[in-house]
Amino acid sequence: MKAEKMLNKLKDILSAERQAQLEKYESLKKVLKALRVEKRRLQAELAAETDEDARHEIASRLKVISKQRKKGLTVLEELKSERDKRSH
Amino acid sequence: MLRKTFLPAIFVLLAYGFAVSADFKTITAGIAIFLFGMLALEEGFKAFTAGGLEKILRASTNKLWKSMTFGIVTTSVMQSSSLVSVVTISFLSAGLLDLMSGVGIIFGANLGTTTGAWLVAGFGLKVNLAAYAMPMLVFGIILVFQPTKNLKGTGYVLAGLGFLFLGIQFMKDGFDSIGQTIDLAQYTMTGYPGVLAFAGIGVAATVIMQSSHATLILILAALASQQISYENALALAIGSNVGTTVTAIIGSFGSSIDGKRLAMAHLVFNIVTGLLAIGGIYQLMIAVEWLSRHVGIAADNYTLQLAVFHTLFNLLGVIVMLPLMRSLVKFLEKTIVADEIEIERPLYLSAGLEDIRDAALEAVRKESIRLYDLAAGVIMDGLSVSRDVLESEEKVKRVVKQSTDIIDEDIDDLYERKLKALYGAIVEYIVHSRGGYSGGRLNEELNAIRQAGQHVIEAVKGVKHLRKNLTRFMQSDDRFTMKEYNRLRRLIITVLREIDTARKSASESKSVLSLDHLKLEIEEKTRDFGKGLDDLIRKERIDVQTATSLMNDISYCRETCWDLVEAGTVLFSASGLDETVAMRSLALGEDEIAEMMESPDEEAAR
Repeated sequence: MKAEKMLNKLKDILSAERQAQLEKYESLKKVLKALRVEKRRLQAELAAETDEDARHEIASRLKVISKQRKKGLTVLEELKSERDKRSH
Repeated sequence: MLRKTFLPAIFVLLAYGFAVSADFKTITAGIAIFLFGMLALEEGFKAFTAGGLEKILRASTNKLWKSMTFGIVTTSVMQSSSLVSVVTISFLSAGLLDLMSGVGIIFGANLGTTTGAWLVAGFGLKVNLAAYAMPMLVFGIILVFQPTKNLKGTGYVLAGLGFLFLGIQFMKDGFDSIGQTIDLAQYTMTGYPGVLAFAGIGVAATVIMQSSHATLILILAALASQQISYENALALAIGSNVGTTVTAIIGSFGSSIDGKRLAMAHLVFNIVTGLLAIGGIYQLMIAVEWLSRHVGIAADNYTLQLAVFHTLFNLLGVIVMLPLMRSLVKFLEKTIVADEIEIERPLYLSAGLEDIRDAALEAVRKESIRLYDLAAGVIMDGLSVSRDVLESEEKVKRVVKQSTDIIDEDIDDLYERKLKALYGAIVEYIVHSRGGYSGGRLNEELNAIRQAGQHVIEAVKGVKHLRKNLTRFMQSDDRFTMKEYNRLRRLIITVLREIDTARKSASESKSVLSLDHLKLEIEEKTRDFGKGLDDLIRKERIDVQTATSLMNDISYCRETCWDLVEAGTVLFSASGLDETVAMRSLALGEDEIAEMMESPDEEAAR
């Protein structure tokens, strides 16, 4: 019984679907990291900027990045919980 | 040269005629009124051609007998074969008809036009037409001033008929009167020289008047007052039948290649019919005499006999040409060919690459980027702003303000030749590439690129719509409206420039996602345009019609910008495939952007 369970787990690890999901997870993490860097850069820029128009521009860029990150984190969470479900 | 001297010569001749003969004046006034009636009639029927006629045309021309019947009926009702042939050419050019159906209609129109001679010979010459004309004119003109299109159209038709009747009456009176003073019959010519000479006069008269109907009425009026011989009248009728094709030929100048073929078919048909009638005129005269005797037409009623002759020789033409119709169509398709149009051909989509998956994907991407670049150029032309502006650092606001001259490019032609053709090639290539393998990321990517190409095409279509009003207002002094159009131009150019910036920094994963910021900007700006428009209406700086046009164009501008951003998001993501897909899954949609516009800045910027 134990050997069968272990074999199933191995099958799951080697399956193409799982592989694709893993790749997706990793790619998403990479993109989210890049967005976090960009967000910090813009926040610093906003703090230093005094021109009202430029501030508005930076603020709306930040708004967009926040929304994108929020969306990305939700997807990442879903992928993670799915992965955890499979491994248990 | 000919055109320069022709009109003054006609004027001088007419002036001379007016000076020496009051009857000539009456006859020519009759012709002028008749022709004016034709114009009014055409105008009236045009009001109905936009919707109804189109539907009838589609349903009633799918078989040869149907298209011929359609030609007979419409020409009998409209009393103008020229109008029917010109309308047929325009429908053919619009792709609503095929050449075969078009030729069928023309054949039918030639039979339908003979009803005019019957009406005038049997009815018009015997009664006082002016008595009918007057009420028609009064009712017609009242209706012409009505605001609704259908009432206006009916008004033109009634007024047109009124003028036709009045013109016929004038011509009839003129010839009646001329008969009491001069004997035109002394110029009668007999035998074939007479037939040929009078047929030539018939051609010339119809070419000048642009109406075989007018010539025929003139012939009937002259015949009724015995100013011309019966034989010469028949020759004139044959000539008028050939001359009428000139209107269709002129009408085909601006038409498609099929329109030109149809005009040529019309010419061939009428020349063949004319030659048959000239060659067999004496045999036809015997046939007319025999027929007239059997249907009860008096032997001295030459006007009705002329109507019989007119119908008979046109019928003969149809009988002879009908079996040759298919060959005629084939011959015309072979001889009248379109000039080779220079269409945009793909540079990267080489045959053989379809089976190499990654190479095919790269080729499709490169070709689609090329499509985007070509489209960007066409969009700039459409907005009448120099293409160089996309590459320059100049402020968009200033550049747009300075771009006051219309860039005279045929956007429709560029769209057809360059973009549509190239996009078609891309789609075809994608379909073939997918044939070999199914599913997977690569297919998803190919689909995404195909969709991006569709967005590019839609963006150009939006600008094509926008350009109509933009061009109109660029030529007007309406500075308030122009200011609004400049704002629309600015937004589209800003979007193009921003996409270009993102494209150049595409090595960083953030770049393509940064285009989402543009989506927010598009929404905010177009919302502001709408608000500004309300303000302009309130302050009465623009009228409601202009405001409606602007509202439509704001919508086109918004859609164009969105299409460009959507296309850019797919085409300019240069990272690895997995990362590209991940990045694209984070791109914000219209709903998410709308949601963001509702939420305060600080909250989202956390």
